[in-house]
Amino acid sequence: MTSSGRMIAVCLLGFSTATAAALVKHDGATARSPMPAAQQTTFNRDIAPILFRYCAACHRPGEAGPFPLLTYTDAKAHARQIAAVTSKRFMPPWLPEPQELKFADELRLSEEQIALIQKWVEQGAVEGVPADLPPAPQFVAGWQLGRPDEIIEAEKPYTLPAGGSDMYWNFIFRTPVDRTRWLKAIEIRPGDKRVVHHANILVDRNQSARRMEADPRAGFPGMELKIESETFDPDSHFLFWKPGTVPRPEPESMSLRLDKDTDLVLNIHLQPSGKTEKIQPNLGLYFTDKPATHFPLLLQLENDRQLDVPPGEKRFLVTDEFTLPVDVDLLAIYPHAHYLGKDLQALATLPDGSAKTLIHIPQWNLNWQAVYRYADPVPLPKGTTISMRYIYDNSSENLANPNDPPRRVVAGNRSSDEMAHLWLQVLPHVSSNADFDPRMLLQETMARHNLEKNPADFAAHYNLAAMLQARGAQSEAIQNFELAVRLRPQDATANNALGASLLAAGRIGEAIPYLNAALRAQPDNFDAHYNLASALASQDKFLEAIEHYRAAIRLHPDDANAEANLGSALAEAGKLSEAKLHFQRALRIDPNHKLARENLEQINRDPKNLQQ
Amino acid sequence: MHRPSLSSRPLLCFFLSFAVPLLLALPSLLAAQKTALHLDSTPADPFLAASGKPVVLIFVRTDCPISNRYAPVIQRISSEYGAKIALWLVYPSKASTAEKIRQHEREYGYKLSALRDPQHALVTQAQVQVTPEAAVFDGHHRLLYHGRIDDLYQDFGRARPAPTTHELDDAIQAALGGKTPPPNTPGVGCYIADAE
Repeated sequence: MTSSGRMIAVCLLGFSTATAAALVKHDGATARSPMPAAQQTTFNRDIAPILFRYCAACHRPGEAGPFPLLTYTDAKAHARQIAAVTSKRFMPPWLPEPQELKFADELRLSEEQIALIQKWVEQGAVEGVPADLPPAPQFVAGWQLGRPDEIIEAEKPYTLPAGGSDMYWNFIFRTPVDRTRWLKAIEIRPGDKRVVHHANILVDRNQSARRMEADPRAGFPGMELKIESETFDPDSHFLFWKPGTVPRPEPESMSLRLDKDTDLVLNIHLQPSGKTEKIQPNLGLYFTDKPATHFPLLLQLENDRQLDVPPGEKRFLVTDEFTLPVDVDLLAIYPHAHYLGKDLQALATLPDGSAKTLIHIPQWNLNWQAVYRYADPVPLPKGTTISMRYIYDNSSENLANPNDPPRRVVAGNRSSDEMAHLWLQVLPHVSSNADFDPRMLLQETMARHNLEKNPADFAAHYNLAAMLQARGAQSEAIQNFELAVRLRPQDATANNALGASLLAAGRIGEAIPYLNAALRAQPDNFDAHYNLASALASQDKFLEAIEHYRAAIRLHPDDANAEANLGSALAEAGKLSEAKLHFQRALRIDPNHKLARENLEQINRDPKNLQQ
Repeated sequence: MHRPSLSSRPLLCFFLSFAVPLLLALPSLLAAQKTALHLDSTPADPFLAASGKPVVLIFVRTDCPISNRYAPVIQRISSEYGAKIALWLVYPSKASTAEKIRQHEREYGYKLSALRDPQHALVTQAQVQVTPEAAVFDGHHRLLYHGRIDDLYQDFGRARPAPTTHELDDAIQAALGGKTPPPNTPGVGCYIADAE
């Protein structure tokens, strides 16, 4: 029996700084036109409804807006400001152009609303009669979804300097669960909302991000990170916070699995405010008894390899196209580029030839990046081609350009590097008679697509091999694991997976060198100890096998399979009383462990064997 | 009958002697109508206190995120030029009470003197429109420069990673060295007129 390979879900989330706002140059001050008194625009009748609906969620005490906009006095004290920022569409922040496919919670003012604000200011920002004032918006104080079942706070605060450029910081939250639980929501309270531009949670089931912390438990800087995930467990949910976000519980059927020893990594984008700020975020966890029955997944289009933008280039195009191998519902979309991103667009071309704009952001602004959820799921049939079309501006006209003067920019994780990513949350349609998991077919197709773009893509070879292995295409799986190992000969995970794959094919002699290589690269690799022990046991090298099973158990003392197999190896080596002890341990961990029970019963039936 | 040569003399002297106190009285009379205030609410004249040094006024607002973001830059300028200039933070908002200003200065680490300008006496004199904008006057109280501190912001939400021009520094050095000041360039920020 082998513990098969791990799946590397490469998860890159990005962030950066900014550019912005559709620049409809609109000079309110020169566009004065005297209005008859009858057409007097007033705060109470005309402006309050707009501010309450679009602005107040952030512009109220304790929220991200720098000043409240809840009363006439508040609005009057910023009247020209409001007119200027709305006419430039800097506020409220909403990047996508209007389109046929509607987004939920759209924060876009109409031209009429913008004109009304201009008129109100030109006419002297009059209050109007009290009877016209709509009721003030009601907000929930504190946790938006009520008291969480568990609150976890970052262990150490991060101190943001008073000045300088934007900062990206990652906090690792150890989760307080002792068994697998299901979450219906995670509410992010990022700290002082005036400095936090947005935040994103990555689920780190393998505690792989902890290796990034120079000072344990203090977190670590960085804009993008990679998370390794164990087994087939692709990312499935966007866990995103931006100012004004009210957390949205997941649909009951799509709860989020949280295992014991899972870390939640909170990546936040901070903008200095002029004074030093201590940032110590909290997460509120809301549990549910209902395990997920529907499994969405995050698909990523990207083409970082195309990103090689010469200095001065104003329209550098990066594209990617992916054809869906199964029917899906598109639930949400998250375009991502850094500071050179200018015009970001995603299209879907359906099998009937019709095309739909999935999103179009003509003036990308990293500061206001967001996950956009569709008002209704968008059905995309098998054969639909999703295309990403991003334009980058590396000239000095792009104010957000991190380089002055501009220089050549390629893909990378730093904010001065670039990215071309498009994430889509899709829910594959599951047909009752299908004998495959559509998510696995999507992953396999995605891995093959990535290899077309880049034959030297380690993660793609690895993930493709893992999918092939899972559906029993053993020789092609081995071939791809071999290619992954050739690309990264020192990678413990890949060496172990290749070893495990060879082991599963009965090629034991060939497996052992790779398993040894995995242990040289990472002596505390549980899987490699376990697999090597199993390989040695199959060659009747029980004493060596026993050592590796013991090493595996030292790393994972609660692994029933390792205990049972150690028992078997000990029994084969004639150490029956010790073997019995380990079968009993395996049964204490898992009372239904068949192998341990059968072997134990056999020893008990034939007690004279104990004398051997 | 007029005998201009002699009789006009005392008249002229009388007129002049009257004119001197009148001219002196004029600014104080205006000041009584429109004046900036110290935080203890006594009238403030930053020019009188400057004793011939260049006067630099930087206009800020407690609730303006853009002027707040400039706090470290403003503090740096204050430390850099020290006693060579008379630098004042000016809060033009009526709503900024002395107590709010003191708290704001503490929070943002300002170690320079602040004035309230609820009647916009200094706003008018400095010809500023938004916070943060600065005005630099030479030793003769002539306005050399008014406008942005630097080019960090080009528009709302359009900030560079770091500024590429430093108008306020240039203007102060012009005032100190008798050089040509930079052209007046409007700032990006919060409209002072909103604070009326």
